[in-house]
Amino acid sequence: MNKILLLEDLPEIRAWLKALALQVFPQAQIFEAARVHDALALITAERFEVALIDLGLPDGSGVDVVAALREAQPEAQSVVVTIHDDDDHLFPALQAGAFGYLLKEQPREHFVEQLQRISQGEPPLSPAIARRVIAYFAKQNKPQERPQNLPHVSLTDRENEVLLWVAKGFTLPEIGVQLNLSRHTIADYVKQIYRKLNVSSRAEAALEAQRLGLFRR
Amino acid sequence: MHACRRLFTALVWFGLSALAWASLPARSAEPGTPVIVLDSALAAVGGGEHFPVEKPAKRVSLPNVWSSTHAREDGPVWYRLRFDAPGTGNQLLAAYIARVCSNAEVRLNGFIIYSGGRMSEPVTRNCFYPQLVTLPGGLLRVEGNILDIKVQGYPLQKVSSRQRAGGLSEVRIGPQALLAETHATQMFWNISLLQVITVATTVLGVFLLFLGWINRQEVHLTYFGLLILVWNALSARTWLQNMPFDNGTTEQLVCVGFSILTALVVQFLLSYGALRSRVIEVVLLAQCLLVPLSLVLAAPQRVFTVSSAWYLLMAFEILVMVILYLHTVRRTQRIHFWPMATMLGLLAALALAERAIQHGWLPLAPVHLLHFALPVMFTVVGLRQLKSFGLALQAAEAARNSLESRVAEATAEMERNYVQMAELRVEQVTEKERKRIAGDLHDDLGAKLLTIVHTSESERISTLAREALEEMRLSVRGLTGKPLPVADALADWRAETVSRLGQAGVEVDWRSPTEDVTQQLSARAFVQTTRILREAVSNVIKHSGASHCKVRCTLGQQDFVLVVQDNGRGIPMELDGKLDRGHGMASMKHRAKQMQGQCLVESGPGYGTVIRLTLPLGTA
Repeated sequence: MNKILLLEDLPEIRAWLKALALQVFPQAQIFEAARVHDALALITAERFEVALIDLGLPDGSGVDVVAALREAQPEAQSVVVTIHDDDDHLFPALQAGAFGYLLKEQPREHFVEQLQRISQGEPPLSPAIARRVIAYFAKQNKPQERPQNLPHVSLTDRENEVLLWVAKGFTLPEIGVQLNLSRHTIADYVKQIYRKLNVSSRAEAALEAQRLGLFRR
Repeated sequence: MHACRRLFTALVWFGLSALAWASLPARSAEPGTPVIVLDSALAAVGGGEHFPVEKPAKRVSLPNVWSSTHAREDGPVWYRLRFDAPGTGNQLLAAYIARVCSNAEVRLNGFIIYSGGRMSEPVTRNCFYPQLVTLPGGLLRVEGNILDIKVQGYPLQKVSSRQRAGGLSEVRIGPQALLAETHATQMFWNISLLQVITVATTVLGVFLLFLGWINRQEVHLTYFGLLILVWNALSARTWLQNMPFDNGTTEQLVCVGFSILTALVVQFLLSYGALRSRVIEVVLLAQCLLVPLSLVLAAPQRVFTVSSAWYLLMAFEILVMVILYLHTVRRTQRIHFWPMATMLGLLAALALAERAIQHGWLPLAPVHLLHFALPVMFTVVGLRQLKSFGLALQAAEAARNSLESRVAEATAEMERNYVQMAELRVEQVTEKERKRIAGDLHDDLGAKLLTIVHTSESERISTLAREALEEMRLSVRGLTGKPLPVADALADWRAETVSRLGQAGVEVDWRSPTEDVTQQLSARAFVQTTRILREAVSNVIKHSGASHCKVRCTLGQQDFVLVVQDNGRGIPMELDGKLDRGHGMASMKHRAKQMQGQCLVESGPGYGTVIRLTLPLGTA
């Protein structure tokens, strides 16, 4: 029996999301929260397999919940559910450990299909996000801008290649055809990219926190 | 620099030509004019009021210097000259004596007719004053006139220079008017010019002294000023006729003056060449004390020998210093070398010539060369110093100006920075405000639209609400967005279009430039083009029934062309011949027009549809 965390402040949408989640995971037990505070409390209490997390909440940002869940339950899959489609909002969530994102206004069938894909390990990746990831790792790989004792996380050539194709506007199936790779292999690359983004960002954040701590002393 | 060199050359030439002219012998009487030159006389030693007929007389030729005929005599020496009056009718006659040293009284046929001043100590010093004696007509005879000249002076050994040793030049008898002219010329060269120069250089000296006083580190200015003043004091000996001291004291003072002068020259050269030495200063001071001491011991019979030895030593000292100075300057400040070398070389040559005259190797010049050459040199060297002082002043002024301009620049930059910061702050505030509005739109309007999307019973209403949400998102993007690279825009459009058409089962053929796209697209143009493209793709999916869709995107220098072509059934014509408005063609065209572009639609039943969007890149 798997458990799903559902964080959404609008009751109608929460109900809608709950129905869809149950459609994808019929056996699941769904824990609903309308606030960041409630969600964080649930994380300490339960172990989740999947979490659907809205970003803009009355008492804070869903990104914090994504980060907390990643920290407490690394195996849980956080999926951001939002009306923001821009990378400014999505990228921090992905850095915090989100494994894909869904736009809330999509028709039911699209939403269900994408949620299924994500749960099967095929997260989406838009050109804008791909560009942000490329820029992020380019900066990380510059020794002069990289803080010392930061673990060096770098993408493989294949992962980079996939990112570049996405950034140019090619869809994942197209890239599979282009590189003569299966859909699953491409999906694995994307998963690795998300994982590495999260690992690198967390190390960076930890280092930053340490630095601030040193200053405070 | 060039102007200065020209001035310097001109001064040197002026000095040299003046010297050359002055050193010419006094112009001899033109042929035919009745001027008699008396170049021999009877000379006898003796005081008294009359030619000492009782004493042995020698015939001497004029010009006569005592050292050659009366070496041991203290004077006075009487000279008796005989002449016949030149036949000039009633013309006033005069006798012209170019040089008589130190003073003379003249008697014509026994009557005293002229006195140059005091004949006893302190004797009037007329050595540099030419004498013009008017011959009273009443005393003149036609033949056998006797001119007795009593000369009071000093033997060579009692003076320190040949110019002041006792002696008499040849005497010219002729018309007074003619000889007065010669006398005036000689007076000018011997006395007046010297006085003028003295006054002029004294001003320069005082000026330099003052400059040295206010600029203590430029000590060479002080030395040079003092040098000029001491020289001028020394040169006063030539035109000051009556000294309050007897001859011995005067000669000692002159000699001490020269030792001070030498000390100043050496000190000037050393400080000008930055070579000062404490030892040399002590030696110079000692020399200034030793000179009068040695002269007191030498007096009265060996003044000339001792002073000549001193002068020779001093000339040697100056020569050594000049060489040392030039050697240093040649290594350190090349631009000073040639002017100073010329000047100092000239000085050394003149000093040597003067020594040669004093030692009797060269004849006495009618004009004291050193007296003209030195002031010229003083002027040139003084002007050089003033120039370097002026240049230093200019440099200081330039430094001050550059400092001022740097301060002004820094101030301007600070102001610029301030303006930039203010602009940045305005930008930041604007950006923040945009974000706030965008956030509000998302949170309020977005949430409400979203609720409508998912709660509406009517599919049409949820679709409209969904479209409204997408529109809102685009609008917010246009509100907050910055220009983005065309390449990124193309990637976003491609991803969306290919994905949508793919989901709808329409085969897509997208071609767009992938390399070397460096242009930027404004957020507004991106948003409007996105809407047009989205509408076109929606039309293909909803209405065309096409199985294939070609998208072509090309970038020109000025514009950007997007072509969407399907193989569907085309858009049906309305009755008035216009294309169906339900397909959103009007809004597409309107949006293109807003961007100063155009949107052309070609369609016909069976032909499919071609939508051609052209946008200028400048405004896009």
